[in-house]
Amino acid sequence: MKKDILKNAQYWYDFDRDLFYNRTAKKAFSLEFVDDKPEEEILRRMHESTNGSGWTFYFNSGPSDGVKRELERVLG
Amino acid sequence: MQDRKPEDRLRQEYFHLLPDIRRVVWCLEAEIRYHTRHIVRSLRPHEQVVVKSRVKECESAVKTLRDQQEGRTFDPDNSEDYSLLNLPDLAGVRVLVFPNSRLVEVDNALRGIFQGWTYKPGRDDGGAVLAPKYYGYCNDVSTEVRAEYQIVPMLIGLFWEVEHSAMYKFREVANSKEMQEHRADVESALARFEAGIETFVQDYTEPSSGVS
Repeated sequence: MKKDILKNAQYWYDFDRDLFYNRTAKKAFSLEFVDDKPEEEILRRMHESTNGSGWTFYFNSGPSDGVKRELERVLG
Repeated sequence: MQDRKPEDRLRQEYFHLLPDIRRVVWCLEAEIRYHTRHIVRSLRPHEQVVVKSRVKECESAVKTLRDQQEGRTFDPDNSEDYSLLNLPDLAGVRVLVFPNSRLVEVDNALRGIFQGWTYKPGRDDGGAVLAPKYYGYCNDVSTEVRAEYQIVPMLIGLFWEVEHSAMYKFREVANSKEMQEHRADVESALARFEAGIETFVQDYTEPSSGVS
């Protein structure tokens, strides 16, 4: 199950934003993305490297800069 | 002056629309009561038709619109893109009917009155129609505020009142397979109870007693 994979990798669920997030990896997956994408893609995204300085958001429709700012503020 | 947050703009829009929302809900409730009065008059002692109306609360309206965005976040740079008028249920009326055999009667009585309204029924997790639902405008009151009416089997409707408010905040839990199974169990038990009552009444009613 995709949600178990995320849970096992220390991704927590934000019930207000419907996001799976991991503060250490600085990655967040939208519920829609997790629902729609296959398990392999979730795994690939979880393991792909990022620049590490800011959050990476995995959304079906890429979030705007404004939305990213808001979510970064909320996720800390 | 600093731009306001989308939520604040929407709250302002809400209070601008509120008088219209109230008028729409009063009008819709009155129409529904009027056009179902012949059914209400013919109810047998164990049968019920209850009409409930509600104006969507401000914070609930803002949250519903926000929840339509991926990541449940408004874009603060594009506040003007959002409007509560996109919500179909600012004004809502729910008709609770018991037993279920009366539901079709109420639905038929109202469908002819609200012609042209969009049909979008509530379904169970298996896809079967549980409760007919319609969206549209009460044009003589407001051409902006959309209204919704739904006809619901009473037991299911009362269950939904508790279930929706609990599950509303926990979408991921609500959509889980486990909770879907629990919900399906409750809905099927309530449907069986209704069917049982109807069968009992049918079996123990004198054939002539329904004719006056």
